[in-house]
Amino acid sequence: MTDDIRSVADLSPESRRALHDLILSLADSKRIIGILYADWVLGAPELEANIATSSISQDEWGHSRLLYALLKDLGEDPERLEHAREPSEYCSIEALDQRLATWPQFVVANAIIDSALTVQLEALSASRYAPLRQRVQKQLEEERFHEAHGAAWMRRLGSSSDAARSATQEALDACWSEVLHWFGPDDFGAAEKSAGLSDGTGGELRTRFVERMGPVIQGAGLEVPSAQLDFSDWDPASRRANRTGPDPEAVARARGDRNRAFFVETAEPEK
Amino acid sequence: MAEQVYVVFARKNREDPLHHIGSVQASDSELAKVYAWKTYDEERWFEMVVAPRNAFYPVNREEAPFDITRRGAGTPEVT
Repeated sequence: MTDDIRSVADLSPESRRALHDLILSLADSKRIIGILYADWVLGAPELEANIATSSISQDEWGHSRLLYALLKDLGEDPERLEHAREPSEYCSIEALDQRLATWPQFVVANAIIDSALTVQLEALSASRYAPLRQRVQKQLEEERFHEAHGAAWMRRLGSSSDAARSATQEALDACWSEVLHWFGPDDFGAAEKSAGLSDGTGGELRTRFVERMGPVIQGAGLEVPSAQLDFSDWDPASRRANRTGPDPEAVARARGDRNRAFFVETAEPEK
Repeated sequence: MAEQVYVVFARKNREDPLHHIGSVQASDSELAKVYAWKTYDEERWFEMVVAPRNAFYPVNREEAPFDITRRGAGTPEVT
């Protein structure tokens, strides 16, 4: 591997911008998926699944905190990012804009959407930007269990009743195109790949994702949906086509609005 | 898909013996592994394994304390 980059001062302005956008997209996606998972902490079909869902939700929350903290070196205020943004400012994957209203929707988010984030994270596991690389490994170790949980439940739903199988297929069909678009156009991130910051372009990561998910989906007796890619409205900074953002209620919970409503006003801490 | 009980064993260090730490109910071994890892996550385990409860044959008693098929996940067991 070429030399490590330990400081943002050693990154070009273009690389700095690209890393900022990538980390923010991952952090926001993990923050939102953690909140959406939390809706199922007491609603999963069995006790063990409740426990697993709770733990997975906390993992995602932890990952997002690690990632937001990294953005401090890239000119952001993590406190503002976590607690003071409107939904339209979120750069989370569009496939998470709606609540996970049913258990099959939870399972598809867990098996498919979460895995897309992991494929992107894996592309950073050999990044020359050391502060990022050093925070990726632990997240990947935890993600191994998230993916196993999602895949096992997808198999279970796929081999269950017709109603369960068709609800799972519908949830899959509903998110598939948005997940594929999240990786960006085929040459997206080519400059970062050349600079050794990431190891795959948008097209390469999308291929990795589809190759990994295909056997999981088919192994569950489901069909891999088809998708027409169209990036005409796609914004490379937010990795989204719309700027309305995730569910406002989910964002309010992610920001901790209700917690702060109980705070007693105090003087501003000295900087 | 029928649920079955999986017993969970783990050790904190390479040199330790595996200890019986509890059980989970799951529809297959893949889910049992995730459930075990996420349920018994109070330690940084060096190694954890699961095995179907029915893979164990009682040696000295027919109805042993080890038989936990009617208990829920995470129930401490007498071994």
